[in-house]
Amino acid sequence: MKVTLISIPVRDQEKAVKFYTEILGFKIKKDKPLEGGNRWVTLVSSEWQDGPELLLEPGPNHFEPCKVYQDALMEVGMPYTQFDVNSVDAEYERLTKLGVEFSVKPSKMGTWKYAVFNDTCGNNIELVEVI
Amino acid sequence: MTLYEREINRINSVIYSNQEQIEIAIGVRNYIDNNYDKNLNLDLLSRFHFVSKFHLLRLFKKHYGLTPRQYLIDKRIEKSKEQLKNGMSVTETCFTVGFESLGSFSTLFKTKTGKSPSEFQNEQLSRSKL
Repeated sequence: MKVTLISIPVRDQEKAVKFYTEILGFKIKKDKPLEGGNRWVTLVSSEWQDGPELLLEPGPNHFEPCKVYQDALMEVGMPYTQFDVNSVDAEYERLTKLGVEFSVKPSKMGTWKYAVFNDTCGNNIELVEVI
Repeated sequence: MTLYEREINRINSVIYSNQEQIEIAIGVRNYIDNNYDKNLNLDLLSRFHFVSKFHLLRLFKKHYGLTPRQYLIDKRIEKSKEQLKNGMSVTETCFTVGFESLGSFSTLFKTKTGKSPSEFQNEQLSRSKL
């Protein structure tokens, strides 16, 4: 068994693809149509294109508990997904300029630095840098 | 402040209150990052920080989740992948990233990546030709 995919629930796949590629810098790896206008769309990080894929799945629109859970996480500012970066400060600066909203500014905890932003698709995302 | 932030701050004050220990762990990691190609061992690392090697081992594991040795091996494997991608020979790569025997390098590489160094290299080089 291999770990190759993680999924992120999104409200609007089109919007999510735009945000994750144009703002965050991911690249589309697979994109195929499913029923009802839904897509199987996965992304990879541009600097690690043979790394794990990120699935933007439209769960909250089709399965109520998924929406409830996502809303509850959003309300308390809890990130469910995190991405590694070389510099949290540099990403904070870059993304802030692009209009991304952070609920936690770059902070330190033990041997890592972190920050949390809103992905505009219903999720808090944490950026992590090991120091 | 969000509930998440309050909770993180609470946990932080409980488990990461000893700033001196954190500095030592960070110092050791930085040292490994900059000297992974040299012959490193716990005695050397602990002497730098004036702590016993058992304390250092525990400290590092507590903060990074793996031992300095495991961290060093992961670092060397990561660096060896870069060298192999650039076309360096397996033998040269092995010594450049700090391993002392070709046998242990090949075994570790295969365990960590699922491929032998030469398989990995052939795959990378043929991919770049496509």
